[in-house]
Amino acid sequence: MSTAQNPNQPDAQQLSAQQPDVQQPAGETKRRWRPTRRGFLIGAGVTGGLLALGITVGVPYARLQIAGTLDGAEGQPASFPEDPWAWFEVLPDSRIRLYLTKVEMGQGVHTSLAQVAADELGIEWDDLDVVMATTARELGNAITSGSNSVSGTFTPLREASATLMAMLRTEAAAQLGVAATVLQIDGRGFAVQGEPSQRIDFAAVVAAKQDEWEVPAEAVALKDASEFRYIGQSLPRRDFVAKLTGQAVYGYDARIDGMKYGAVARPPTYNGVLKSAETGAVGEMAGVRKVVIADDFAGVVADTRSQAQAAAAQLAVTWEPGRLWQQAELEEMVTVGNGDAFTIQSEGDAGGTLRGETSLAAEYRTPMAVHAHLEAQAALADVRPEAVRVWCSTQAQSSVRTAVAKALAVDEKSVEVIPTFVGGGFGRKVGDEVAIEAARLSQAAGVPVHVGWTRTEDMRYGYFRPLTHHRLAARLDAAGNITAIEHRQASGDVAFDFLPNFLATVMGADFGAYRGALIRYAVPNKQTIAYRTPLPIRTGWWRGLGLLANIFAVESFMDELAHQAGADPLAFRLRHLDDSIPGQARLKAVLNAAAELGGWGTPPPAGRARGIACCLDVDTAVAMVAEVSVDAAAGRIRVHHVAAAMDPGLVVNPDGARAQVEGNIMWGVGSALIEELTIKDGQVEAANFDRYPLLTMKEAPDVEVVLLEAGDGRPRGVGEPPIGPVAAAIANAVFAQTGARLRQLPMNSARVKAALA
Amino acid sequence: MQLNINGEAVEVTAGVGDLLLWVLRDELGLIGTRFGCGAGICGACTVHVDGVATRSCITPLALVEGKAVRTIEGMAGRTEDGELVLHALQQAFIDEQTPQCAWCMSGQIMTAAAFLAANPTPTEEEIVEAMADNYCRCGCYTRIKRAVAKAATVASPAANRYQQEVTA
Repeated sequence: MSTAQNPNQPDAQQLSAQQPDVQQPAGETKRRWRPTRRGFLIGAGVTGGLLALGITVGVPYARLQIAGTLDGAEGQPASFPEDPWAWFEVLPDSRIRLYLTKVEMGQGVHTSLAQVAADELGIEWDDLDVVMATTARELGNAITSGSNSVSGTFTPLREASATLMAMLRTEAAAQLGVAATVLQIDGRGFAVQGEPSQRIDFAAVVAAKQDEWEVPAEAVALKDASEFRYIGQSLPRRDFVAKLTGQAVYGYDARIDGMKYGAVARPPTYNGVLKSAETGAVGEMAGVRKVVIADDFAGVVADTRSQAQAAAAQLAVTWEPGRLWQQAELEEMVTVGNGDAFTIQSEGDAGGTLRGETSLAAEYRTPMAVHAHLEAQAALADVRPEAVRVWCSTQAQSSVRTAVAKALAVDEKSVEVIPTFVGGGFGRKVGDEVAIEAARLSQAAGVPVHVGWTRTEDMRYGYFRPLTHHRLAARLDAAGNITAIEHRQASGDVAFDFLPNFLATVMGADFGAYRGALIRYAVPNKQTIAYRTPLPIRTGWWRGLGLLANIFAVESFMDELAHQAGADPLAFRLRHLDDSIPGQARLKAVLNAAAELGGWGTPPPAGRARGIACCLDVDTAVAMVAEVSVDAAAGRIRVHHVAAAMDPGLVVNPDGARAQVEGNIMWGVGSALIEELTIKDGQVEAANFDRYPLLTMKEAPDVEVVLLEAGDGRPRGVGEPPIGPVAAAIANAVFAQTGARLRQLPMNSARVKAALA
Repeated sequence: MQLNINGEAVEVTAGVGDLLLWVLRDELGLIGTRFGCGAGICGACTVHVDGVATRSCITPLALVEGKAVRTIEGMAGRTEDGELVLHALQQAFIDEQTPQCAWCMSGQIMTAAAFLAANPTPTEEEIVEAMADNYCRCGCYTRIKRAVAKAATVASPAANRYQQEVTA
């Protein structure tokens, strides 16, 4: 990367000394891996001077990524990639470098995974270096999503760390001529206990190794939790000095010598298809280097970004607009009863019980939403005959690599994707569009090309959280307990747009769409039915997938039932949770903790009321108490305070976990009160934040978070579960304050006024 | 034309109609000033022009000619032996572990720095009012508020120098 000609720029060396989270240099030699015992890989042919130990995670992890829905299904891939998702190298200065394929997009994963590794390595915090791996080493399916970066890798990463250190220890003992048991870790090497002068550095051990490295025959014992020095501590993020001094490189910042800027012509409608395009006078415009017109694509390469964008807008393009969809048509599509129905939960006989008598029924709706990460989609591609390099702000470097290779019709092995820091992902940076555009323009122009989307492109031409519709019904007995409950939910696709068709056929219901839809309470008769209602506008991954919508419906309805039963909403939930059922005891614990933190049962400040809600997602239990006031005249809901309790099992970095809860609460408040993406005449109505505003500090609630631990030593995800209860907790508080029930998101001024009228 | 960026005279090939954001980022390589919306709404591109917090994505060079532009890269100072001295705001944002993805953070810091220069002892309400036009999609608002309040109470050599400069 070329460096900036900036007189005030802190020099790179000093920064990297403070800030070890740098990227792997691009274009590094590819390494071949030699499979060895128990799924470890050793860098092939690297004796005498280099030891690299990689880890594959194999079938259990791959299954986890798709939420278990492939279990026992036909069409399951016969084998999973053997490529590593993380590996270590012993550096010449005896620090140990951890290469990760999990991208840093704000969730602090490079810090938390370093904590996990450093504990089993047993080395000092500053002696562990963490870098982002490029795809040069055949990563298999590298993706950062689904709140599983820590939960899915915790044990294999510990095993790899412990194994690496055991291999070094065995070899060091042989070289020193002592028993391995007398060696202790001493800084960046080993020393003989009681004889500190008899020591050897890690790098010296590796350099003197004569034959090939072998993984120990016996599995290496892992440390007891009582021995953890780093896990469970709020260690500071490793990437903040670079990020707060303006030095961190994101996809939008990627620069190499000789690069130009690209822009692509966009249709006036979401589903517009290019019919024809002509260069016209664009070729003569200032700075234009190349006009690229293909069957499905028209773009420009120019000296500056502004020139490229101006030129792309001037291309004479004819579009086939497609049908001019209207918002009301889409809402009609996503209605319970339409599309294919799949029963995804069935216990007892909910249908039969409810046919006899229904105590309460209600329906809810949620709108489409956009991710609105502040770093718009961006990639830099350098396409050369011998090799292709793509720097990209991405959550899915492996699929970007595959997509670029396909778009360019080149061998995938010749494509290297270098993931940068990600300026917000939230599910949208699983997409590959911008990388393909940069690559196609670079290929045509013969120069490196950077494409950075505008806010309008980012808001209009991606994929969105789908519309949802929910019908709930339940029966209460004389004591006010739920005897039967049913949740019918319709949703646009979430996961299915990203999976091969045969998998959608095998799975039936879209696991992304029904995430959070199942009834977690102890009720004898319960069922959940998912209606798959695909939309003509692309919908897909968005933080938590269906979680926010489904929990809004289910937890609002629980509140309505509590009211019907004349019960306190907290007490009503607690009496429908069974300590003997996995997860339910933990839900009880977080409900009680959030209630205590949020002052449940004590009088709220004048003019305010509280609402409570909870969810169990990726086996993380979360509960929240929201405190709100309602300005009836303005139709404005103000969320003053949210008290949250979360049990994610084992907490690796408490402050990082709290930050995820805080961020999810802000997302939830924004979705509850403000965000709504609408379609008019076949196009997304909003083109920028003027029509799709985000939550600001003014509307942000104060947040308090308490973390509980399940006590089984196993971390679960924290990146998405806390988004679940937010909207329901707010709606329930609004009901407590006003007696008006809002069943459609967002609870904006018009809807609040209508509900209060 | 010539610009004054972070205290140095810099020659650029861009013209008076070009937007400051892209000249900083693409011609001068000062990538720390981030693009967010291109419409002056989100605040990610905020820089100082003669000490005033300014949205560089909608500011043509004509408006900054002859004026002092400061970017996030010009916020940290150096000791005599070359050691990096973070601005009080940068240090406070680290102390409070404020960012998540951090794409908006240059703009947050530049907005807060201009605000604190004008109001060194703000109330919480004044901080919220001053920071309310800077989006943070990750939702770090409670930490941004804490960090700005903390920076207001912490004096660092870099902050003192900087505040003297912009108020001089």
